[in-house]
Amino acid sequence: MNKSIPTEIERFDLSARIQHICLFTTFLLLAFTGWGLKYAYVEPSSAWINIWGGARIAGIIHRIAGIGMLCTFLYHQFYLLNLWRKKDLRLTVVPMPKDVMDLIQNFMYYLGLSREKPKFGKFTYLQKFDYWAVYWGMVIIGTSGLFLAFPVPASYLFPTWSLPWIWDTLFTMHSDESLLAIVFILFIHFYNEHLRSDVFPMNWMWLTGKISVEELKHKHPLEYERLFGKNAGQGKR
Amino acid sequence: MSNQLTIFLLLMFSQALVPAAHAAPDAASCLTCHGAMQGSMEKEKGVIVNLNIDQDRFSKSVHSFLNCVECHMGFTSQPHQAPAARVDAAVQNLANALSAKSKIDAVAQAACAQVQCHGDVYKAYKASVHGQNVIVKKSSDGPVCTSCHGSPHYIQPRTGKDSRVNHFNVVETCGSCHEEKHLTEKYKFSPLVMERYKESFHGRKLKLGHSGAPACSDCHGAHDIRKAADPASPVSGANKLKTCGKCHPGATTKFVAAITHKPLHPVAHYAELGLIILTVGTFLFIIIHVLLDVYADIRDRLFRKGGNHE
Repeated sequence: MNKSIPTEIERFDLSARIQHICLFTTFLLLAFTGWGLKYAYVEPSSAWINIWGGARIAGIIHRIAGIGMLCTFLYHQFYLLNLWRKKDLRLTVVPMPKDVMDLIQNFMYYLGLSREKPKFGKFTYLQKFDYWAVYWGMVIIGTSGLFLAFPVPASYLFPTWSLPWIWDTLFTMHSDESLLAIVFILFIHFYNEHLRSDVFPMNWMWLTGKISVEELKHKHPLEYERLFGKNAGQGKR
Repeated sequence: MSNQLTIFLLLMFSQALVPAAHAAPDAASCLTCHGAMQGSMEKEKGVIVNLNIDQDRFSKSVHSFLNCVECHMGFTSQPHQAPAARVDAAVQNLANALSAKSKIDAVAQAACAQVQCHGDVYKAYKASVHGQNVIVKKSSDGPVCTSCHGSPHYIQPRTGKDSRVNHFNVVETCGSCHEEKHLTEKYKFSPLVMERYKESFHGRKLKLGHSGAPACSDCHGAHDIRKAADPASPVSGANKLKTCGKCHPGATTKFVAAITHKPLHPVAHYAELGLIILTVGTFLFIIIHVLLDVYADIRDRLFRKGGNHE
């Protein structure tokens, strides 16, 4: 109450913002070039791949972007380690039982069964899902991608009994999970951060890293309370 | 019937038009009629001969320097009066062997094999599984030259954009037989071989115009093609290591097991099914989530003034 409340606070530091830019740049390059290969027999894939310089160049772009994304991912692990070393690491993005309750509460609110919106912490369950989806993608798409990019060394690692199905399985993992990632980003991420009426045309947080305290209070009330106390700002109304 | 009448009339006219009718005819004299004739005629039961030669396309083919009778040796005079000319014995023997397959003009088909023409290719073809099937087994459905290369009248260089056997078209050409159900059953081809190739990285890259992606003939050979089980085949045993190694240095037995064109293994099939269920399930969840959010957003703005912001 006594603390003065700023108009905005930093939600993502510079390093996190740069990581986000690297991640979405490589993601888009991978999606654009990979899509043409996944749907090679659906026109206008050939014309689309020609825009990217033909199949050979598109393949090189895809590989470079893939390695770029893996590097970004590795860098993020060091970033987390560093936060932990500086005792700045909060486990705000770890899924909790509360997230399940929030999901149920949110659907009840959507359907008009409850007038109460769930009170989210620093990250909503969808944001947590979004974050961990990257880990899932790295494990499934990243490893299969590495194997597919370097098939000869990869073949040395595979046991003989796996050979009749391993390549087809790797291909499916790489291609189907990429589609999942693309559709997830297209729907959830684009909707929440671009199209939603309160952020259109985009949420500028990716550049500024800042969130207004007003928005924080509405979208992440528990985080607001943690920072400024439960009754903070009451007088303003 | 009217077709035959047309032909008759054309023949009448050409007799009058072409000077020196009994000299060895060059392509131009044949084309006087065949360049203009339209339609086709039935040579014998079920064998339809197209009578038209597209002069423009013929003149652009690699064979445009040839005279018709250099391949169609049976015809000396025009219009084709009996008796037929004497045909070189080697060509005639081959023509007899091909007659079950090549019904229109087996002599012309056999003429490709002449030493001064494509003798080397013929030697390779004769030893191949295709050649053995046609020449030795006298099969009526094996491939002869024109089965893959198309009409010799319009044949293009192998590198030509319209060539049926160029790097990017040859897969469809092989597929015209290897995708055929009755041939797959008769000859026990690997089922789904074309489909499995097309969905592989090799097939997809080729479709997108990757000049380094292998088409059928890059691994299996062309005129000298063998059964995969034949020890001489480039994809059999140790040869496969060398063949794959052309593009994938360091290829081992474990590596070359990757490409078989065999139907999907059950493990891969169920892995795919599981991933599809996961993907579709997630789609449904997020789409419902977004739509409900849009609905609640609009509802709040219209009916619960400021409700969204409390």
